[in-house]
Amino acid sequence: MGRTSSFEDLLEITSLKQLQEKTGNWFQSLTLLEAQKLQRHINGLGASTHNVKLGFIHTYTSDLLNPWLEFHASIHDIDLDIYHAPYGMNVFEAQAGSGLVQHNPDLTVFMLQREDLHPLIKQPVTGLSVEQQRSLKDDAVANVIKILKAFRHALHGRMVVTILPSRFSAETGMYDLQSEFSEVDWWSNVKKEISRQIDETLDSTAYMDLDSLLASVGRQQFFDLRYWYTTRYPFAAQAANLFARQLVSVVEVICKPKAKVIILDADNTMWGGVIGEDGINGIALGPDYPGNAFIDFQRRILDFKERGFILAICSKNNHQDVIEVLQNHPHQVLREDMFSALKINWEPKHINIQAIAKELNLGLDSFIFVDDSDYECGVVRKELPQVHVVQTPKKAVDIPYCLDNISRLEILSLTQEDKNKTQLYAQERQRKALQSKVSDGGGDIEEYLHSLQMEMSIELNAEHWVERLAQLTQKTNQFNLTTRRYSEQQVQEYISSNNWLVASFSLADAFGDSGVVGLLLIELQGPDAARIDTLLMSCRVIGRKAESAFLETVLTSLQQQGISLVRAEYIPTMKNKLVQDFYSNHQFSTSDNFAFERSLIEQKPLRADDFPMKISLAS
Amino acid sequence: MDTQEHVIQIVAETLNLSTSEINESSAMENLELWDSMAQVNLMMSIEQTFDLELDPEDFMKLNSVSNIVEYVDNQ
Repeated sequence: MGRTSSFEDLLEITSLKQLQEKTGNWFQSLTLLEAQKLQRHINGLGASTHNVKLGFIHTYTSDLLNPWLEFHASIHDIDLDIYHAPYGMNVFEAQAGSGLVQHNPDLTVFMLQREDLHPLIKQPVTGLSVEQQRSLKDDAVANVIKILKAFRHALHGRMVVTILPSRFSAETGMYDLQSEFSEVDWWSNVKKEISRQIDETLDSTAYMDLDSLLASVGRQQFFDLRYWYTTRYPFAAQAANLFARQLVSVVEVICKPKAKVIILDADNTMWGGVIGEDGINGIALGPDYPGNAFIDFQRRILDFKERGFILAICSKNNHQDVIEVLQNHPHQVLREDMFSALKINWEPKHINIQAIAKELNLGLDSFIFVDDSDYECGVVRKELPQVHVVQTPKKAVDIPYCLDNISRLEILSLTQEDKNKTQLYAQERQRKALQSKVSDGGGDIEEYLHSLQMEMSIELNAEHWVERLAQLTQKTNQFNLTTRRYSEQQVQEYISSNNWLVASFSLADAFGDSGVVGLLLIELQGPDAARIDTLLMSCRVIGRKAESAFLETVLTSLQQQGISLVRAEYIPTMKNKLVQDFYSNHQFSTSDNFAFERSLIEQKPLRADDFPMKISLAS
Repeated sequence: MDTQEHVIQIVAETLNLSTSEINESSAMENLELWDSMAQVNLMMSIEQTFDLELDPEDFMKLNSVSNIVEYVDNQ
């Protein structure tokens, strides 16, 4: 009864954001019919913002997933255009002109079975010697990687590879793992090797492990063997529901703004109770209930920090009270230096969140705000609709898991840059401190820039940065002249091409190294002309003349190659007003403020010593 | 709601049609959208809605509104 009435409540919802911000696995128990009903209700609220093309390469029935996929996509404001290739894992679909290549999917999903990797896997692997097992593993991995490479070559979008778990429990029974010939052990090595080789040799490709989905729902709930034996469709409703949800989260990560910051409330979010009233010894944070749930919650947040998310606190409290906990509470997991911004005061939260956005130079749509209070969540939802608001569940036991279903907190690849992010923003705080010291002492901005002792390293066609460069095109919104998004695969193509120049830079100074923060994609048009396709820079290095130094140095290099005319364009978006005058300020002429050009003969590029930094160029 | 109305509603929902487009004589053989894929989804929804478990042998027999109504009523 409880569930039926809550389903009726879902049909009353009037904004998608309400559904998107619901915590927990509320959708997990919906029947197919309910999902379809709810989807129709959602469609009635208006057309989806995002359009995404999906492709499936599959060796078992995949199109029955469509209603589940469309359901989850509709919740996340996405309209899917789905293509299922004919049965089979063959390279025919990777050829030019195939249905899949013509569909040009933004995401191609491989739904494979273990047996597809090698014909011998149909037999029990426990019957093989250790040596035979090893060579079977190597051959199986080599087979799948070879075929994936053929698809990678033919497709532009992302790829996700899945392998259907075994319908059977372990071959050697309950104590399989103890056996020298353990099947579970063998299979986990196969998966590990596939993931490793995907990571090393295939761009924009991820391995999604369905065994972990199987573990969370259980084998009996995962498979519906009646459909498997009659229609080669393996999934029971709940498994189909959850699998579709996982695939749609990949789609979300592709098409939505990246989440970058998690802002936490303090009282009743990081710990139970109110620090100002209960005191450092009175709040619930420790080994006993409910303090242990809050420790788990903080532990979860630490996982997200490791994934590269930036942490901040926004709390209505006396500053010193919260700092006291961060510094001295024996069970506090998240310490002061793990946060990149702290707003602990009595200002309204939406004002504080805007201040954090300004301080970190990041857009509000990259923020996830976590708070227990109806009032605070309501205010932030109303004043800052771009922010994703998570209201922590009422029961302490549910709090540690309240961020588990937010796909924008999933990441498709982890770069070293991500891991260093908190440190980078801490360095930025120190720079700002120096800046105010210089200006308080009557110094000017030039003096400040020189005091930073900056060194810019520009690299041309740097293949080792391809992952980071693609990430920059996908994440950068404000300092981005054309906002064109590229996959790793596409960036790799530009790097390999003779008609394109891919330039990137990093900036080091007295406080640290920024990592790769700027990108120019230039198309060479004939012997003496070039077109700037993309020019972008991470906001963390803004205001240091890096953008000018980068552009002028690359233009010098073009000039040396005989280029005399450079064309460029500015494509306005909601976010990039910052750079609308960029080309006008860099000696480009325009008739309409969107298309620009600059003659390198008349408007010669500036030299390196015109800038307050050392510049090196490596190709 | 009697069984027939209920079944018509499920068939309509599964095939993404309005209930006015389905009646007691609707069947796989006279509805283009009612293909073998739709049939599997329909079977799942029938099971979940009426809380029963079909045998694989029944899947292909339940290919019309009247067959489904008769089957459900006999459970």
